[in-house]
Amino acid sequence: MKRRIQVVICRVCSGAANVLDVEKLLRVANEAPYVGSAIAVNYACNAKTIAQIVEEAKSREVDRMLIIPCSKSDVSPALFQAYKKKAKINEFLMETVDLVGEIVLPHRDNPARAQAKAESKLLAAITRMAMLEPLQKSSEKMRTKNVVIIGAGVAGVEAARQATQAGMHTILIEKSDKEVKAPGVVMPKTRLVSAKGHAGNFILTIEAGEKRETLECAAVVIASGGDWSDAKGPLVQACGAKPLYRLVQEIGEGIISREGVVIVDTPDPKADITSAQDFAWEDAIQSAIEIRKKSPETEVYLLFQEMRALGLDELSYRDAADLGVRFVRYDKKRPPHADPKDKSKIVVIDSVQGQTLSIPYGGVYYASIAPNPDNVSISEALRIPMTESGGLRRGSMQKGPIATPRPGVLVCGSAQFPRSENISRLEGRAAGALAAQLVSTGIVEFGGSVAEVTPDKCSACLTCVRTCPFEAPFIGNAGKAEIQLQLCQGCGMCVGICPSKAIELHNYTDDQLSTETASYIGGDF
Amino acid sequence: MIVAERKPLGEIVEMIAQLHKVTVIGCRSCVAICLAGGEKEVKMLISALKLKNRKEGRKQEFDGFVLERQCEKEWVKEVDDKILASDVILSMSCSLGAQTIADMYPEKVVVPGLNTAMFGVPEEQGMWSEKCLGCGDCIIHTTGGICPIARCAKSMLNGPCGGSSDGHCEVNLDIECAWYAIHERLKLQGRLDLLEAVRPPKDWTPSHSGGRRIIVREDAKLTQHQKRGKEAVI
Ligand code: SF4
Ligand code: SF4
Repeated sequence: MKRRIQVVICRVCSGAANVLDVEKLLRVANEAPYVGSAIAVNYACNAKTIAQIVEEAKSREVDRMLIIPCSKSDVSPALFQAYKKKAKINEFLMETVDLVGEIVLPHRDNPARAQAKAESKLLAAITRMAMLEPLQKSSEKMRTKNVVIIGAGVAGVEAARQATQAGMHTILIEKSDKEVKAPGVVMPKTRLVSAKGHAGNFILTIEAGEKRETLECAAVVIASGGDWSDAKGPLVQACGAKPLYRLVQEIGEGIISREGVVIVDTPDPKADITSAQDFAWEDAIQSAIEIRKKSPETEVYLLFQEMRALGLDELSYRDAADLGVRFVRYDKKRPPHADPKDKSKIVVIDSVQGQTLSIPYGGVYYASIAPNPDNVSISEALRIPMTESGGLRRGSMQKGPIATPRPGVLVCGSAQFPRSENISRLEGRAAGALAAQLVSTGIVEFGGSVAEVTPDKCSACLTCVRTCPFEAPFIGNAGKAEIQLQLCQGCGMCVGICPSKAIELHNYTDDQLSTETASYIGGDF
Repeated sequence: MIVAERKPLGEIVEMIAQLHKVTVIGCRSCVAICLAGGEKEVKMLISALKLKNRKEGRKQEFDGFVLERQCEKEWVKEVDDKILASDVILSMSCSLGAQTIADMYPEKVVVPGLNTAMFGVPEEQGMWSEKCLGCGDCIIHTTGGICPIARCAKSMLNGPCGGSSDGHCEVNLDIECAWYAIHERLKLQGRLDLLEAVRPPKDWTPSHSGGRRIIVREDAKLTQHQKRGKEAVI
């Protein structure tokens, strides 16, 4: 292996605001060992520049590339894929360093400090680069184009439509026997029992009545929705509070009380609230707006502890306020309750203004939707972590809003927390499209920068087996831990916790990391 | 398994600060599995000591590795040269390993890096609980498989005491009352009659009260003759 590095600095970004001396950085890079070429370009993200960089890479015969673009978050990873392919560089031999976000911005008032820090960071990155090994990914053919969707609510049906349009075979499983209008196969009275396999090749066991069968699929979309059954709480007993979806129905049917409408977050306002996301505030605000438009004499109150409307729905706060909807924040220590003297009024203390309000009402509705109790079994079967409030957790933001931490499994609609009908529909569509995108390649890739066990060092303590969020490690026939490549996401948790130091993550080995760090802080540690 | 916990860094530094060549020896057995003294802990401790030395301007030499089982002489023998070359052995095994080395190398200073805590089981990742005191005369067949000696704060034989409430122990409300658990377990098995009989005081001589215990298996012991033969082979 050559171990010749090409360093590419984007002059526009790294040189931003004249904090860093890019020419000096180039000199530092050029003098460092293993560097075959160090160049500065204008706009590393531009197609013409890429061509220039690739030319340079070829002529200098480098086998690895260190790119210093603008803040990483701003640049699409796909763009850098293009570099690797064109310059014929192993995909694990190209890394980026974020000098802008980590150094220029925080130290812009102190260019000397910024420059010193940037130089040592650059050298550390070069040290690391030189130690990296080229890694190969393996791949596997998908055995089917099936996409299984769990739950035939708004989101599930929409996901089925979208995925079928994209040429997938969808199988929609629904626990009730309600009539479902959706393309593909619909299996009523069916639930998921367990799941094996991994993205691209899952094998699900489902249960329809007494009958159990297995189902192969390439991706799973969870659209289990919320629990729409009536909740309990003091406001239900005292004021006959109803779930919000009933208000939506009533508005649709033109039944609007003139005596006033109160929407409260939960029918049990004394209870702890984990997150404002657990309530269908988007729907609540939309309903309030519609009531004020259709029946201007009806007073509408929104009583809340925390309120959050997502995305563009934030704009509707203003519309609602302009139409005279009253927003009242309360403290759970002094919860809204029925007026003991006059049951047709709700008393609430506005915790912002300290004012006590006595609100006459024609109807009280609550915006909470309990999580679907089936989430527990779905979470166990597909190994998706749950939220504190009982929803199914989505993955990190980098993975996108529809992804779960588990590759090949997507989640949409109210499965995590209440979503308005519109958002559920949108998310269903997104989940269907993403599932189709994943499945359409017909190939699953895995491996690369993943964990590997050195059997001789393993003490079969099971720690990795217990720790891995993806259940990749298992104790194999030899009585030592092994890692199933298809499941490993290279997160490094098992590596960090293995008490016998028996696991290594390729290209993040102790040696590589400590040499890099030592180079950064200048010395042994 | 034997469950141990690392001593606080300050305490470790105090024990070894005056000695120059420090050899840190871990163990791949129980203490590795309870995340206290395996290779990872050995490496982390050495890094922490180096950092602290750098901060406090002390100079020491460190070496570190793990043995298959530190409580067995044969494994210790394998690193004979390294032990002889050091000024202090910082043992990261349970006290059994540390004492094995100390007994084998009486002239060497051996210090414990861990506090040996108990016989326990991993209840879940990162949590161990004590379930046996090694009393030498097991009675759990009469208590639904729950050891009252280890799990009852008072090691009572005829529990529960008056301090048991709602299944919790009065000594610490966070721990369960062992006798409550025993009652529930026996009820489940339909064997509550076991609780009718009064248990007489236990004979504690097989336990530590009879002095340091030594167990001998005559059938497994090597004869003088065999031993001699072995020495000849070695
Ligand atoms: S954590 Fe390490 S020692 Fe324990 S089973 Fe896994 S690989 Fe083996
Ligand atoms: S690196 Fe992460 S995903 Fe891979 S086996 Fe280890 S814990 Fe599991």
